[in-house]
Amino acid sequence: MKSEESESPQDDVSVATMKDRRQQMELTFPSDFKYLGAVDAAIQDLAREFAFSQSSINDLSAALIEACSNAIEHGNKFSKRKRVRVVLGFNGGSLSACVFDQGAGFDYNKLLGRSLPPEPISERGRGLMIMQAFTDELNFKYVAKKGLCVELVKVDKDSTTKAEGGEAG
Amino acid sequence: MKITQREVGNAVILDLNGKLTGGPDAETFREVFKSLIDRGKKNIVVNLEKVSWINSTGLGILISGYTSVRRGGGDLVIMHASDRIESILYVTKLNLLFKSYESEESALTAFDEK
Repeated sequence: MKSEESESPQDDVSVATMKDRRQQMELTFPSDFKYLGAVDAAIQDLAREFAFSQSSINDLSAALIEACSNAIEHGNKFSKRKRVRVVLGFNGGSLSACVFDQGAGFDYNKLLGRSLPPEPISERGRGLMIMQAFTDELNFKYVAKKGLCVELVKVDKDSTTKAEGGEAG
Repeated sequence: MKITQREVGNAVILDLNGKLTGGPDAETFREVFKSLIDRGKKNIVVNLEKVSWINSTGLGILISGYTSVRRGGGDLVIMHASDRIESILYVTKLNLLFKSYESEESALTAFDEK
């Protein structure tokens, strides 16, 4: 399914599902916080399909919402013409999410080197803490022709044995 | 995000409904807190019962409200935070800043202690 600029609300969010040995789903949406609810719903549904525990789902969702918030605000700078793309993948007991924006990129080494936490009453600077705390892996990497990907990986210790009992979806 | 205000005793309870994510919500909150402080309302309870989740920008909104109220000599506490929200407060260490209560009755006692 293509994700194209559209004026009609029903076309604002596009979802594509591709099934192969590694289950994947893509979600593309405009740079607006109001679409974060759709991101939460998507990860909740997908993770349940793969028998993830609710606590692991909530953890991954919190981290993913944060990564998407950053993509909307800092990557795409709320531009209505730019979109955020999320590629969700399930692979043997772990769920991964790659978040792409259409911004100019940033020096993520500088971000990772920043001292944490911020001042107690600072209104900013907690996004990285949330992404790190709720995932097993957090990677920033450039993907050729696609841009910067913020990759979040969550391993559900309980789901591996459950998923082996039957095929999901 | 919808915000409804109600006065109970010496406190104002803000009932939030929706997702606390920043954007236009930030300006709405600033106006609400400015209005409260202008009216001399210093004891604020933020009811998160109908807030399904929050991101770091939403945390910033709460901190901004907390700072405004504290500067005015008051306090801001939260109540009915879900497990999802409590865990985010914990990992960001904001559980040390915001007193969190499980019921309205107990939240209101925060202002009796002063």
